[in-house]
Amino acid sequence: MISVQHLTRRFGPHVAVDDVSFQLERGEVVGFLGPNGAGKTTTMRVLTGFLPPSSGTVTVDGFDVLRDSMEVRQRIGYLPESVPLYREHRVQEMLWFQGRLRGLSREEARRRAGVVLERVGMAERARSLIGRLSKGQRQRVGLAVALLPEPDVLVLDEPTSGLDPLQRLEVRRLIQELSRERTVLLSSHILPEIEAVCPRVIILHRGRVAADGTQAKLVEERGETFVRLELLSGTNADVSAQLGALPGVREVAALGRAGEFEAFEIRGEGEPCESIGRLCHVNGWVVRELSLQRPTLERIFARIAFELEPAGRSEGAA
Amino acid sequence: MKGLGAIFRRELAGLFLAPLAWILLFLVLLYQAYFFLLVLGAKGGEVNGSLVFVLGGGLPFWLLLLVLPALLTMRMISEESRSGMLEFLLTSPVSDAAVVLGKALAVTTFFALAWASGFLFALLVQLLGARPDWGLVACAWLGATLASAFFCSLGLVSSAFFSTPLLAAFMTILANIALYALPSLARAWRGRVGELLGAALERVDVLAHFQGSFVSGALDSAHVLFFLAWIAAALFLAVRAVESRRWLG
Repeated sequence: MISVQHLTRRFGPHVAVDDVSFQLERGEVVGFLGPNGAGKTTTMRVLTGFLPPSSGTVTVDGFDVLRDSMEVRQRIGYLPESVPLYREHRVQEMLWFQGRLRGLSREEARRRAGVVLERVGMAERARSLIGRLSKGQRQRVGLAVALLPEPDVLVLDEPTSGLDPLQRLEVRRLIQELSRERTVLLSSHILPEIEAVCPRVIILHRGRVAADGTQAKLVEERGETFVRLELLSGTNADVSAQLGALPGVREVAALGRAGEFEAFEIRGEGEPCESIGRLCHVNGWVVRELSLQRPTLERIFARIAFELEPAGRSEGAA
Repeated sequence: MKGLGAIFRRELAGLFLAPLAWILLFLVLLYQAYFFLLVLGAKGGEVNGSLVFVLGGGLPFWLLLLVLPALLTMRMISEESRSGMLEFLLTSPVSDAAVVLGKALAVTTFFALAWASGFLFALLVQLLGARPDWGLVACAWLGATLASAFFCSLGLVSSAFFSTPLLAAFMTILANIALYALPSLARAWRGRVGELLGAALERVDVLAHFQGSFVSGALDSAHVLFFLAWIAAALFLAVRAVESRRWLG
């Protein structure tokens, strides 16, 4: 459905998107993940035909975004991060305008406006002035505007930014519903968001694709399991050495003191929780936490972000 | 052109949903009425001359055209670019030209409405027993609308080029002043600037073209074409400027 090949986009000397390639199949729901400034919005803007690419090819349903821009735009429903709506208009007027822009007849535009407003749960606010709506309501109207043309592809740029947790949950549920019948590309820097909605994740970092795959695959390939141990400090001087001597333990990282406690991360073969527990018991160490840390998308994301960062900044951030 | 109608109607609604347009319309009506009565008194009741005076024959009209189009067009592209509305329009399946043209038509319609005050005055004096020359008024109205369309197109160019509405309006007004002043400067300097340059400057003499035709009641296609050509040129430039916003991001 969407094919991006070697996409590069420069703004003067700044390279916002750097040789990015990925494919989206019809009906796929993909999350664009990355810190601010990673190139998510720029990539989306190229996809929707707002920005021309500096180099590389982008096609939607076989149509090139540069040469067949109108065909591409006809197929995409786009909700930019700024949620553009005419504040002085009423909700339904904005939707009718969108319908007319897409060349729908007046009756069809009105019919669909009713349908999409019902869909996003804003039917009773159809006659409200957009300027009077709350941020969450505007977000939902924005979604309705993007949905009105019944597009094959939905491109949603940070659809939940600036919402309170309850509204975020609502919008998330809505996107989940929509994703059953459409190809959806969704960006966010909020991880749980993506984890909940998108089976497949593309992590962008500094304009490049840092990881691409299903959540399960990413976690399996890039994730690591480790044991986290917190002890009352001062109990024993050579904790690290003793832990390291346990069978199966490959690496012990002392994370230093936090208040009265000292934390360790222990990596190794299998799951050495039990032997560590026994060791603590034998030595009479006061344990506050002993837990198996399973890999999550968040950890992988953080690792990718920090690994690719220059050393100085990663220390500062850690 | 696809989407042109939708954008035109949206822009017109946008103009009249804001209080500014209504206030300006009201002020223009007062302003025009004041000068109409003033000139009517000064000319000893010569109705047609007075009507034409407020529709392009006199300086007060041109003073309005110096400022009003700049005010009404300043936000149309620069502000929308900031609010993200432009991103919405430019990712809709309509051409950049349709977006610009729709806006130009909407704001021109506003002026067509504002200058229709001339018809109102003509109607009033007719009810009072005078005999206004309706053809002359219609001709002057058409000319006034065409001239307004030209200045609005310039305003759109400026709004597309500059990032803030205020700067856009300022630059439009400067450009308008230059447009008024250059031809007379050229005449004054005839001997000193090159003959070619002088002739070129006279080609863009809006006032001369206007007064040579519409005010006298002679609908001359050459003068209509003069305005249409310049409007087209300005709109073309505005479309290019909008396009350049895509490249700059």
